[in-house]
Amino acid sequence: MRGVRPPHDDPAASRRATSLPVASPAAVRRHIGTLLRRHRREFALLVAVNAVAVGASMAGPFLLGRTVGSVAAGREVDLAPTVGLFLAAVAVQGLFTWQVRLRGAVLGERMLAELREEFLVRAVGLPPEVLEGAGTGELLSRVTTDVDRLSGAMREAVPQLVISVMWAGLLLGGLAVTSPVFALVTLLVLPLLLVACRWYFRLAPGAYRSETAGYADVCGTLAESIDAGRTIEAHRLGSRRVARSDGRLRVWTGWQRYTMWLRTVFFLAVHATHTLILTLVLLIGGWLTLRGRLTVGELTTGALLVQMLVNPVDMILRWYADLQVAQVSLARLIGVHEIEAGQGPGGLAPRGREMAAERVRFGYTPGRDVLHEVSLRIRPGTRVALVGPSGAGKSTLGRLLAGIHTPRTGEVTLGGARLAEMPAERIREHVVAVSQEHHLFVGTLRDNLLLARPAAADDALWDALHAVGAADWARALPGGLDTELGAGGLTPVPARAQQIALARLVLADPHTLVLDEATSLLDPQAARELERSLAAVLEGRTVVAIAHRLNTARDADLVAVVEDGRITEYGGHDRLIARGGTYAALWRSWHGR
Amino acid sequence: MSLRALPHADPGVPDVRSGPRLLLWLERRQWRGQLAAGLWGLLHLASLAALPVAVGRAVQAVADRSTGALAAAAGWLVVTGAVAAVADTMLQRAAVTNWITAATRLQQLLSRKAAELGTVLGRRVAAGEVATVSTNDVEKIGWFVETTARFSSALAAVTGVAVTMAVTQPEMAWIVAVGCPLMTLSSLPLLPYATRRADVQRARAGRATVLVSDTVAGLRVLRGIGGEELFLRRYRHASQEVRGAAVHSARMWALIAAVQVVLPGLFLTAVVWRGARLALDGSMPVGELIACYGFAAFLVTPLRSFEEMAMAWSFSRPSARRAARLLAMRRQSEPAAPGYDVLPDGDLFDPVTGTLAPAGLLTAVVCGDPDAAGRLADRLGGHDPVARAAGEPPALLAGVPLDALRLDDARTAVLVQDKETTLLSGTLAELLDVPRSGAVTARRALEAAQCADVLEALRKSLPAPRRDLPGPRDDPMAAAVTERGRSLSGGQRQRLALARSLVADPGVLVLDEPTSAVDSHTEARIADGLRELRKGRTTVVLTSSPLLLDRADRVVYLAGATAVAAGTHRELLRTEPAYRAAVGRTADERPRRTAGERELEEPA
Repeated sequence: MRGVRPPHDDPAASRRATSLPVASPAAVRRHIGTLLRRHRREFALLVAVNAVAVGASMAGPFLLGRTVGSVAAGREVDLAPTVGLFLAAVAVQGLFTWQVRLRGAVLGERMLAELREEFLVRAVGLPPEVLEGAGTGELLSRVTTDVDRLSGAMREAVPQLVISVMWAGLLLGGLAVTSPVFALVTLLVLPLLLVACRWYFRLAPGAYRSETAGYADVCGTLAESIDAGRTIEAHRLGSRRVARSDGRLRVWTGWQRYTMWLRTVFFLAVHATHTLILTLVLLIGGWLTLRGRLTVGELTTGALLVQMLVNPVDMILRWYADLQVAQVSLARLIGVHEIEAGQGPGGLAPRGREMAAERVRFGYTPGRDVLHEVSLRIRPGTRVALVGPSGAGKSTLGRLLAGIHTPRTGEVTLGGARLAEMPAERIREHVVAVSQEHHLFVGTLRDNLLLARPAAADDALWDALHAVGAADWARALPGGLDTELGAGGLTPVPARAQQIALARLVLADPHTLVLDEATSLLDPQAARELERSLAAVLEGRTVVAIAHRLNTARDADLVAVVEDGRITEYGGHDRLIARGGTYAALWRSWHGR
Repeated sequence: MSLRALPHADPGVPDVRSGPRLLLWLERRQWRGQLAAGLWGLLHLASLAALPVAVGRAVQAVADRSTGALAAAAGWLVVTGAVAAVADTMLQRAAVTNWITAATRLQQLLSRKAAELGTVLGRRVAAGEVATVSTNDVEKIGWFVETTARFSSALAAVTGVAVTMAVTQPEMAWIVAVGCPLMTLSSLPLLPYATRRADVQRARAGRATVLVSDTVAGLRVLRGIGGEELFLRRYRHASQEVRGAAVHSARMWALIAAVQVVLPGLFLTAVVWRGARLALDGSMPVGELIACYGFAAFLVTPLRSFEEMAMAWSFSRPSARRAARLLAMRRQSEPAAPGYDVLPDGDLFDPVTGTLAPAGLLTAVVCGDPDAAGRLADRLGGHDPVARAAGEPPALLAGVPLDALRLDDARTAVLVQDKETTLLSGTLAELLDVPRSGAVTARRALEAAQCADVLEALRKSLPAPRRDLPGPRDDPMAAAVTERGRSLSGGQRQRLALARSLVADPGVLVLDEPTSAVDSHTEARIADGLRELRKGRTTVVLTSSPLLLDRADRVVYLAGATAVAAGTHRELLRTEPAYRAAVGRTADERPRRTAGERELEEPA
């Protein structure tokens, strides 16, 4: 048979790129060691119970061997003790198997719960800068896919492997006790299996990853077709989507062909090894028995034990690939532990409320600065609007002022203290940024507001909703503040989600706010009403607003025009109009004059 | 069926009257594969059963002190082992192929159904339900299809071995007669409990996953404003619930595992006890005793397939029902094409609001109520299920009701880009590769939609050039746009969507708020580009942006759901106070500065 080559198109390739760290094999081993030590008593007990269960399962061959030996020798045998022992062994095996499975599950589930909860603790402690850089997608895939894979492995592969490794070991021990020759023969043939294993386990994990990724692509393409149903119908893309789905299926089945080929070769090798061991044991054992070195009973026991060896070896081979997958997932999960949680010592506190950027340079990729030598001083209580074309660096400047990013050179200070040296928890007591990216959490409307101020009473929540013009529709909700939002519950339109985001801001009540297109999803009239009512609530706060609607700029105290990573104009609306620069031109065109 | 022939050229027309019928239809479509798997399975089991016989013969040969018989038994063993190896491998291949064949067929049916239903699908079922069918149910249905072949071969093998044991050793007959059914049926009563507990566990795990992915998705918000502890507490609670359910479920599975050890153990004991008695009597040679023991131990394997079949059936039934229901959906009342061979070309008119878009002009529509605007956009495209349900008359293109055209023709004549238009994942070239007139190149469309910065961002996202890959590596058209364009900003997404609509270059283009997330600088340039590119074509823009309105040939102002005024932007500004208020002019008349702000000084 000709070999099957892996398909060219590898759906797992793009997923291999990762922006978050992955733990090294040594770190994974250390982590597993810590986990086991933490539960060493349960684990030791589990191993002991398992040993009893496996030991009891070997009683059959021994008892049968003894009986056969006696019959062959023509001795008189009393069957009652043998049958009694048989029954006792069955009972012990049943009881202990039950215990192994149960205790294994209890321990495994506890460790799994610890792992996934620890991961989330780490994830919510990540510095905002890391989240901005890596995006949440990668984190999301770790917390869903990798946790799922690990759970699957912990529930099946790990217990089965523990059981089968012990089983195989005890069987080899039993063989050695019956006759060292049997164990020797087995150990001599095993290297053949190891060669096949080396080949298979070198290629298999990657191939299965690609296959799984291929299937995820199949499902993902369909999900996208449904999600984008309107667009697809409007652009008449139906038949192209069908072709695309078929293409994904072709890639997936291509990988299935490849993994099937790997299994074909591997299965044949495994079977050949089994047959070879069994035949050799019988031939050599038979020859020794004929020479009088072994009894017929020992030969029987040996042959039966070797036959039993098939089961644990098959189990080990079957679950080993899953263990490899689980190891990769574990490395991805605990890799997040390697990110430094805080920014600096955190002993720093601002003295005052003046916000300043001093000769700030910043870029997302090395050698490509987005901001060049930007300096800006904002007095407490001022409302500043940042305007300028897309990609000029407005949002980046906003993020630097909110302490999400750290400038490459220069510094951003609040009350004289550098934001770069404060942890996120400290910064947000003073500065909060709201972007156009809004997110409603699964939970009640109350939960969605409380996160900004956990101790807030309902009255405060209603006041906040009122300030952002959301009180009317919130009151009309079926459950009021207790209405479930998000998956399975109510999904408010984006404009309302944006209002909730702003209500949180009112509750958080920081003295400085960065609003990045925070009202862009509302229609113009509603946006302006909201901005006005918000302005009343936020009287006296420092506000940095990024908006493409010039009304916002006009309502602000100062306008900063950002062009090509620099502030080109800075001043009051009227003064800038009078100056006749970029802003004035823009204002005229907005007015259609 | 070879995997190479997949996906199917034509997945066929499924029988969707019910879940079981769908399963039966799938089985019948691949009966050859099922037959092959069944036969290989039978051969595999037969060779497994023959193995103990060979071992028994070998021991017998030694007991009889016959070297020749020992060698013959060894030969027999090698042959049996080889047959078992080939049969097992081929069984795996055939079974997995069956699984994949069924899964592929279902996925193909689903993608075709999604394309057929289009907009309607999202209205009738939750997107989550379709996702469940494609990720979860297809797998289970495939499992059932795969298991049937194993089950049939196991049934045949168990019957064969039981009959052989009963015939060769009549004294064993009653043990086999009682033991086999007992072993098969023993854990069946426990299975429903176990699967029910497993369902609870899955449901809880699903909820925990929703919670955690939701928390992570909103992590930037959380880190920005606080509330991490609140969410950690919620997740811990959910996670502990998963643990409880998993242990509860494991209790039942542990019990089943114990039953599966004890009953075969008892069966084995009975066989040995009976066999040893016979051997002691001298009526049964030791070799046969070993073979009997081996047979009894062997029976466990096929009996497991019975159980698997029971589980596959219980799991796949609800899955098949869901899949059948989804595949049975149809797009309602597709009108018969009355023979419009040439697409109508002329004014577009909506009788409900009285909105008129004259042929060849750029018409802007201002509508205070965003919902009414969205409804208008939908109606202007025709074939709108909501309008049809409400009994509203369809929009007219050159006097022809759009609903009278075939769906595909109506979509060709009028392209409606809705407010939340979606970018599809793929390269930029793929994104812009939509059915088109051919008159507008991708470059021109991207220029008109002011996508220069998007192209620059995409170019930067390209992987570093590789020597082993051909072609220029700084072509943004080859860069990947992720699903829904999530890697791009809202404004960038909107401009790419606009470029896609411009490339299509339809006779009539309806744009709903195409620049709501774009800054004023860029919006002004887009307005010019749009005007230039669509010269001579009919374009309708629903917007309230003065920058766009000012460049429109004609502006229609809707109050509520009725067109109350039409003219140019400047005319309407002069003559219609309500219009002036709607497009955001009132601020001009309002005193701007509040008291607290006067003390501020502006920097020099």
